[in-house]
Formats: sequence, C-alpha cells, structure tokens
Amino acid sequence: MPRLRPSLFWRARREISPMAAKLLPACRDLESAANELRWIREYVRDTKSPIPDELRVWQLAEKRGRGIPLQYVLGTQPFGDIEIKCRPGVLIPRPETEAYTLHLASLLSQSSPPPTSLSILDLCTGTGCIPLLLLHSLLIPLRAPTPIFLHGVDISPAAIRLARANLTHNTPALNRFPHASSSSCPYNLTFSQFDIFSPSLITHLQHFLNPQIHTPTPTGTGTGTQDQNTEPPTKIPDLLVSNPPYISPRDFNSATARAVRNHEPRLALVPQQQEGLSPIHRYRHDRYNCRPEDVFYARILEIASVLKPKRVLVEVGGWEQALRVVRLVLENSTAATSRNNDGGHKSQEEYNLVEVWRDEPSAGDKGERVEVAGREVVVQGEGRGRAVYLSRV
Amino acid sequence: MLAAPWVCRSCARSLRHASIFQFVRRASTETPVRLPPALLERARRLTAEHDQLTSTLEKDFDAKKAKRAGEISRIADALRQFEKAKAALSELHGLLESDDAEMRELARDDLEATNAQLVESSHNLSAALTPKHPFADMPCLLEIRPGPGGTEGRFFADTLFHMYKAYCSNKGYRTRVVQYEASDSDGQTGSEGEIALQEAVLEVQEPGAYAIFRGEAGMHRVQRVPATEAKGRTHTSAVAVWVLPSFPENGTSESEADWENPESDFYIDPTEVRSETMRARGAGGQHVNKTESAIRLTHIPTGTTVSMQDSRSQQRNREYAWRLLRSRIAQQRREAREEMARQMRSSVLANSQITRGDKIRTYQYQQDRCTDHRSGLDAHNLPDVLRGGETLGKIMDSVQTWLINKDIEALISEEEASAAVASREKGK
Ligand SMILES: C[S@@+](CC[C@H](N)C(=O)[O-])C[C@H]1O[C@@H](n2cnc3c(N)ncnc32)[C@H](O)[C@@H]1O
Repeated sequence: MPRLRPSLFWRARREISPMAAKLLPACRDLESAANELRWIREYVRDTKSPIPDELRVWQLAEKRGRGIPLQYVLGTQPFGDIEIKCRPGVLIPRPETEAYTLHLASLLSQSSPPPTSLSILDLCTGTGCIPLLLLHSLLIPLRAPTPIFLHGVDISPAAIRLARANLTHNTPALNRFPHASSSSCPYNLTFSQFDIFSPSLITHLQHFLNPQIHTPTPTGTGTGTQDQNTEPPTKIPDLLVSNPPYISPRDFNSATARAVRNHEPRLALVPQQQEGLSPIHRYRHDRYNCRPEDVFYARILEIASVLKPKRVLVEVGGWEQALRVVRLVLENSTAATSRNNDGGHKSQEEYNLVEVWRDEPSAGDKGERVEVAGREVVVQGEGRGRAVYLSRV
Repeated sequence: MLAAPWVCRSCARSLRHASIFQFVRRASTETPVRLPPALLERARRLTAEHDQLTSTLEKDFDAKKAKRAGEISRIADALRQFEKAKAALSELHGLLESDDAEMRELARDDLEATNAQLVESSHNLSAALTPKHPFADMPCLLEIRPGPGGTEGRFFADTLFHMYKAYCSNKGYRTRVVQYEASDSDGQTGSEGEIALQEAVLEVQEPGAYAIFRGEAGMHRVQRVPATEAKGRTHTSAVAVWVLPSFPENGTSESEADWENPESDFYIDPTEVRSETMRARGAGGQHVNKTESAIRLTHIPTGTTVSMQDSRSQQRNREYAWRLLRSRIAQQRREAREEMARQMRSSVLANSQITRGDKIRTYQYQQDRCTDHRSGLDAHNLPDVLRGGETLGKIMDSVQTWLINKDIEALISEEEASAAVASREKGK
C-alpha cells in the first residue's frame, strides 16, 4: 500500500479536523475520512456514556485510525433496512451481499403463484445478516400472511451467538409488520452450530424442514416467534443460500485489504487448508475434485442434490470463480443424469435456470450471455461476478 | 359526431384536398377500401400491444401499463370497427355474385350503408391514430383581447367573452373569471350594453377543455354597423382569442407524495434511471470491508445526476437520492412547461396579427351569419351563436373535424415518407 503524502494529512487537519487526520491512514482519502468522522460523531451523539463526547470521538477515531474496521469500532453495519451488530471474530456483512439478498427477496415475493409458505436455509450464516434481511424484506410485500421458516448454520460458536443476538436486536423491527405478530403468519428464524461438511448436517436440515416426522413435538427448534399450531415448513426448501469462505490462501495474502486480513476471521474467508484438517476432514475435502477455494461450493451442491431446493444462490469471489461454480453445477447434473439414466429422474436433478449475477443484480438482464460446458448461461446485472443462481422453478 | 350530416356537408369542401379522402372515395366505388398500408400497419401493431397489455394487466396491475393501455384502446376499438366493416363489405360483394336475384337485390340495398360504414370507420381509425395533443386533457384559459382600432373591437371582445361564458354554462363546464378589465375609455357601452373590454381571461376548469376550445384560437372578425355610426356604414374589426392550457398551481395537486402516479411531475420511470454504487476497486466482496454506501442515480433521458453518501446505510442513501432526483425532475418539468406555455403564447401572438387573411371566423350581423373560414361552415342564426347556443357548438364541432383532418393529413404524409425511406433502404 503506497504511503500517503504528508500534504494530505495537512489538508485533512485544515479542511476537516485534526480528528480526520487521525482517520486518514485507514480511510486513505479526504472524502471518506470526512464521512467516517461524521458517522463516528453521529454514533457518539446517539449513544449514552459517562465519558465526555469529544473524548469518545477521539478514542473511536484513534481505534479506527489504527486500521480496525469501522463496523467493529461502532459495533454495527446497516444492511438493507436493518442494522446488523458486528463483533470482532465474525465477518462484517458486505454491500454486495446486501444487494443480492434484496434482489432475492424481491424474486421470492414476486414469484407466481404467490408462495403460501416459505422455507429458507442459509449455510455459513455468520452474523445471520442474510436470513434476517430476507425475512425483513419478505414481511413487507407478502400480501397474504405467509409463514416463513428460516434456518442458519455456522461452524463458529461466536457467529451463532452473534446471529442470535442479531435476531433479538431486530425483533422489534420485524414485529412492526402487522401480520408478523399475527398468529396466522408466524416467522421462525433459528440458528445452529454445524460444520457443513459434517455427514449429519443433511439429517439436521431435513429435520428442520419437516420436524413432525422426526419428533412428535416440534418444540425447541430455537429462538424466534413461534406458533406451535402452524403447519411445519415444507419438505422442499424454497431457497438454499450461502456466502461461504471463497478466498484462496494466495489471494488472502495478496488480494485482500489490510483491514480484512488483520481484523476479520480467516475461518470466514479462506476454506480451511488441508494441513489444518483432521484426517477425516481431509478425506472429505479430497473427495471433491476441485480447487481448494471452491470446496465449499462442491459441498453445497452436494447438499442441494439431496434437499432439492427450488432455488440456490451462492456468493462467489469474482467472474472466474463464478464460471468454475457454474461448471461444477453442470458437471454435477450430468453426472447425476447418467446415474439416473435408468430411473428417469433426470429432470429432478437439473436446474432449468443457471445464472451468474453481477454485483448489482437488480440492474437486470442486459442481454449478456456466457457459454459454459456447452450451455448458454444468462448473466444478470452490473459489476463484478458476484453470485451463481440456480432455479428449478 | 362525425357522422352528423351537417358536418359532412359543410366539411366536404375543406376535405376535398385531404389525401385520406381520396382513399375513401375510391373505397366507396368498386375498388376495395384501403388506408395507407403504413397506417394500417401501425394500427395493427398498437392493437397487438394493447391486447398484450390488457392480458398482463389482468394478472397484475401496474399503473403505467394501465395508462398506456388506456391511451391506445381507442385505436384498438377503431381497428376492430374497421375490420368488421371491411369483412361485411367483402361478404356483400360475394352476395352480389349470387345466382339468386333476390339475394343480389338485398345485397345491393345494403351496399351503400356498408360503404358509408367503411368510410366512417376508416376515418375514425385515422383520427384515433393521430397523436393526442399533449395538453388535450387539461383545463384551459381563454384570453380575449381586442385588435387595434376603435371601441367597436372592444365592444365585440366583450361580446365574445360573454359568448364563451354562456356556452360553458350551457354545456355545464365550470368557469372562473381570472381577469375582466375595461379599457379606461369614457365608460360608454355598446348597443347591447357591452363594455369596452381591454382584456379578459376566462378559465374553463373542465378537464379536456383545452381540446374542446383549442380551435377557437385566432382572429375573430366582426362586421356590423356600430351604434355610433350615423351613416349606417358597416365596420370591420377584429378580436384575438388565445387558448392556453391551464396548469394546476404549484403545490396544490402536485406534490412529492404523488410520485407513484404516472401523471405526477414527480413520477419517474425506474427503467429510465441508472443506479450506480461507488464500490471499491479490486475484487470487492469478502476482499474488502470499507463502508461503501455512496450511491449515484442518473436520469437517462435528461442526464440529471444526483449522488448521496451521507448515511452509512446504502438503502438510506438510495432513498434520499431518489427523493432528490424526483424533486429535481419535477422542477425541470415545471419549468419546461412554463416555457412551452410562454412560447405558445408568443407564437399565437405572432401569427395572428390582425390581418384580414388570418381571420378564422367572421360574425356578419347584417346577414345574420357566422362563417368559419377553416371548416367552411356557414351558420345562420347569429344571435344563437352569440348566446353560446347549439349553433356555436356546431361551428366548434366543424372546426374539430377540420383539425382532426389536418392531423390525419400530417400523419399520413409522415407515414408515407417514412415508408418510402424504409423501402429505399431495403432496396439498397
Ligand atoms: C464469508 S462468511 C459469511 C457470513 C455471512 N453469511 C455474510 O454473508 O456476511 C463465511 C462463514 O462461514 C463460516 N464457516 C466456515 N467454515 C464453515 C464450515 N465448515 N461449516 C459451516 N460454516 C463455516 C464462518 O464461520 C463464517 O461465518
């Protein structure tokens, strides 16, 4: 990272404030230093503390100037219309994630016929930001009260604790919707700690999708608004979404921002390296014939081939990874097809829609197409390659 | 309205030159009827669009689509009528070949009426295809000013003011006198008690009044013997009438809260806006964790751009940016409209200088006649005209027909020109 010119510090001090000069090493330019200083001041003004305001501003600016992400300094990140609590040890939600989550919510709410109930699974949920924003955005447009069941899993206990804290934090905002609190439209969002490579994960998810079959009393599935008398979620999830770790060890060292590398958990960013795994895990990872940074996608597609969700969305780290994931999908389904040749379950395995979404998927189909493994794939939106979207509906 | 016999008779003169009527003329003889193919093509295309829109609207409602469907529905209806008449005619022609004499006789009886129907429906179709005037649905302002010269013109200006006011009340249109000012002459009045009018502005608050009255704009000539004329000579004077759309006053019916209504100044079609987020360079996603909440919106048709980065929340910034963009666009629209009204006013002013050649209508007292020089309608019973009675209505209707025919002519020559260009392109 190039050194900042001393004149920039001088200008920050003169044109904004000495505090802004403090932020410069992290912010890198005057405009964002000014913005962040304003946000720090707003935060101090809106929260109570026995410590004098100016001192607090100074402390926070000092922390931020040392390179700690603003979201950890202030403890939150706006995400869509909601606020997500952030803590060191759990990945900060990104604006790209926000963009496709909102787009997914609008797809789900506009699907025709309108859904009578929705069940959604989020693998590698981190702060829980994706299911929380989906829920929040779905409660508004759904005209008829629609039960919504969501479940997030993450390997990290800290993430699961924070995800639950985030549910509590946002419960008032969720219950603001008139039908959210009515008994005909319960939502149920739960989180559990799980390694997605664990063989028992699928059973766990199936249990979530259809609790009655496995336990006579569907209680104790987690926190959230519950209504024991309502229909259980359908067996087929409407959506399987995941933003898994996707950065290669090499890119982690060379292509990530310093604030990411130094302050966010590596577990959230880089698929666990082979050496770090127990023999059983290494065996599992080796089963997937793909690059190490793509191994989560191989596993997610495997889970999807069992649960057969109506829609799948996975975030990816760029255009090339997007194409590799598409190839995994298409190869998987041809493998599945040949396996099922005799049984004729072909259509069950195949997705009738395979798309690559760019950073801003809501910009829509601009006619862009890319050919992968002999199939023409629609590219939606603008920006960098950001997600792969599959649909059976 | 178009079928009323007096219109047909009186308009025949002015319509003789319209190319549409050459087609129609051919139509009523042996050759099969045809509109210019380009026009028919356009009607078919719009009808297809209309049918498609109505079927999607059944599934889910969308204000913008509904508006569009409403706009083109009269074209779809007119095309259907036209096709029906055409089918009926070809059926009749089939019957004329019949071996059965009685059948042939019956067919011949119907022929004339069916031909007339075809003429009428093809005319209606052309009329439906002419673009609606952008102000057609608005209320209007009638501004009346005497031409230069003596008090005679001022008296007649007052007569016209009362004529329009009476016409509106006969028709049940709400009006408001915006201005009514006597010239500071010596307070004398005309033989009918008219004042010497300097200027009058009458607002006709009926939606669509602009379309009803737009044909009234221009120089109105009066020929009569003034009360003060000792030698009994006929004087000729003129009065200018302006017709302007009347816009709702700022802040009354137009407000930000209205932004979802396509009619509102604040409405922006989301597909006409490009939204950009100012994202970090490089890989983005998990690779960076800076707050990237800035947003920029560009309204493509006007190139208006707003950016917003006040909040840490991108959603918030997006909302503010939209609000700002809406109010900027509304402001621009309002200014453009005011400018347009201003230009209209000065163009009417320019081309209706008080010359004999430019008069649109003459009110002849001695002969008890009112002649419209555009439609060629010559109406008797001048008192009824000046009372704003049915005779005035007939004159105004004849002008409407004349205006429509002028629009049709323009449309046809435009369509033919573009068809010619297209076929030349194809030939290359
Ligand atoms: C990139 S973060 C995504 C967090 C969140 N969904 C978001 O979009 O902000 C990846 C998450 O996967 C979790 N994770 C890593 N390995 C996992 C595994 N084997 N099973 C389940 N979760 C895992 C990490 O703890 C981390 O929270």
